[in-house]
Amino acid sequence: MSFFENLMMALSSLKAHKMRSILTMLGIIIGVGAVIIVVAIGQGGEAMLKTQITGSGNTMEMFYQPSDEEMRANPNIFLEAPFKQEDIRALEQIPEVKRVVASSTKMSAAKFKEKSVDISSTGINKAYLQINELNVAKGRSFSAADFLGGSRVGLISNKLQEELFKGKNAVGKIILVANQPIEIIGVLEKPTGLLAFGSMEIYLPFQTWKIIYGSSDYTQVTLQAASAEQLQTAGKKAANLLNKMHNTEKSYQVINMEEIAQGIGQVTRIMTLIIGSIAGISLFVGGIGVMNIMLVSVTERTREIGIRMALGATRGQVLTQFLIESMTLTLIGGMIGILLGWGVSEVVSLFAGWPSLISWEVVVGGVLFSMVIGVVFGILPANKAAKLDPIESLRYE
Amino acid sequence: MIQLESITRSFALGKEQIRVLNDISLTIAEGEFVAIMGPSGSGKSTLMNIIGCLDKPSSGEYYLGGENVSGYSENELARVRNQSIGFVFQQFHLLPRLTALKNVELPMIYAGVSKAERQERAEEALTKMGLRDRMDHLPNALSGGQKQRVAIARAIVNKPKLILADEPTGALDTKTSISIMEQFQELNSEGVTIVVVTHEPEVAEYANRTIMVRDGRLQSASAADGR
Ligand SMILES: Nc1ncnc2c1ncn2[C@@H]1O[C@H](COP(=O)(O)OP(=O)(O)OP(=O)(O)O)[C@@H](O)[C@H]1O
Ligand SMILES: [Mg+2]
Repeated sequence: MSFFENLMMALSSLKAHKMRSILTMLGIIIGVGAVIIVVAIGQGGEAMLKTQITGSGNTMEMFYQPSDEEMRANPNIFLEAPFKQEDIRALEQIPEVKRVVASSTKMSAAKFKEKSVDISSTGINKAYLQINELNVAKGRSFSAADFLGGSRVGLISNKLQEELFKGKNAVGKIILVANQPIEIIGVLEKPTGLLAFGSMEIYLPFQTWKIIYGSSDYTQVTLQAASAEQLQTAGKKAANLLNKMHNTEKSYQVINMEEIAQGIGQVTRIMTLIIGSIAGISLFVGGIGVMNIMLVSVTERTREIGIRMALGATRGQVLTQFLIESMTLTLIGGMIGILLGWGVSEVVSLFAGWPSLISWEVVVGGVLFSMVIGVVFGILPANKAAKLDPIESLRYE
Repeated sequence: MIQLESITRSFALGKEQIRVLNDISLTIAEGEFVAIMGPSGSGKSTLMNIIGCLDKPSSGEYYLGGENVSGYSENELARVRNQSIGFVFQQFHLLPRLTALKNVELPMIYAGVSKAERQERAEEALTKMGLRDRMDHLPNALSGGQKQRVAIARAIVNKPKLILADEPTGALDTKTSISIMEQFQELNSEGVTIVVVTHEPEVAEYANRTIMVRDGRLQSASAADGR
């Protein structure tokens, strides 16, 4: 007797008691659904945390953390931008480094007609555009010529357009940034996600920024490596290089990704343990429910079992029939649970603004796991069915 | 075809052993049509269960088609029931959720017959029982006589040499009983060995030979007793 025929038989007998089957599946549905949600949200959250720390596209931020001596020697050290123009050029020579993204930010006033607001003004180099998604909603982005020639053009955030222009189209208008006229060539998209508040910002080509503020130093440097594997090496080399150039011991730093990965791993492990045991308990209770219903079903169908045995079913075939039936029950429950978990994690990720990570491994794992539950909790009832005495079963009313 | 040698069957009842069948020796030749009669509780069904390989004797030897099946394992007995024996019961014993056709297909499922062949053979058997237009009915929607015909179709579909019927007409009216017995007679004329347990002399009349069971022993038999 083939597996497929057993499956069809199981489906038709589950269909004969629809309500009972669905109620029995509930424990499995909730258990499997919970596991899927936890895994999806856990992975999505972890991925977001990692990109926040290390940046997307194999990027890594550099830090300047002056030592006590340096601070004593120069009390104003925090007011100075730590990265010089030649630092950037040297960093670009490191083979593992693909791009060096550099920018400088200062707070200053922006004026349009009579209205004046405080904004953050960031000068960026060309690589910045390739790493950070400055998506232009209206107008255009910077061209290569803008970076080279230091054109007096800028991109403003949507929030700034709202404040300074009352939401009217700002493209083509000229505003004063630190009392220097800048033509607005584009307005950036509104940031998405529940937690993203817009801030008032303007982006300028670094050459332009340099002229306005009279500084050629960068406050922020981000490295991009050619691949994720090279990122850590690139970061170490970059930090060593800058420390050598500035004659410092370890003031220039990059985040040690391995340490962070370990830290995240630990948090995830604890979370997985807690939620895993909750899901485990609900699956166990669900499994007991399946066993219970299957025992009832075996008793109800004693006569059927007797008939099948009289017609030539072996005990093994009866056992298989009931095992497959309980497995089908939990399999369907598991599949519903997967769909449910999928839906919930899509909704959660929509609100939280991170990618929903339902991997096929999780789906396959969920399917297999629910099948295993069916088999494990189906053994006792199936065994009971297989051990029935055919004559007594035929007499059973 | 059937050869029973000093068969006994005892059941444990508390500490006591009740002997339901006592030293039964019996031979039924291939192609015979035998009726088993006797008072209620005399052991007819117990005897039928042993002949049908649903039960094992407590002692004695049972040869079916020349094979000593007393020593067979449970799986071997299941195969014998599937391949060599067709059962017909008083309560029909059809599976209520399966159509007539699917009920008739059951023995072939356990014989490993392919789906297409199963359907073809089940249709053939039902047609032979005059149920061509009732194949897709559930047992609920069939009369007693029709149910018993479905059961007979199911009993013959694996082409067994032996059909065992325990009070096949017990739940049917006289007219229907006659037509069922005629059905058995026709099968018998095709060479199938038939053993029927019955309380009704009119039913037993269809058999070539009647065996009387009383208190677990064979009493007297009609002239044609082979032993
Ligand atoms: N499993 C069992 N355990 C104990 N006693 C049993 C068992 N099966 C049958 N018996 C006893 O064996 C005797 C014969 O039973 P059996 O069913 O063979 O009778 P029968 O001749 O078929 O009767 P009827 O004509 O009423 O069907 C009865 O007294 C019955 O109580
Ligand atoms: Mg009886």
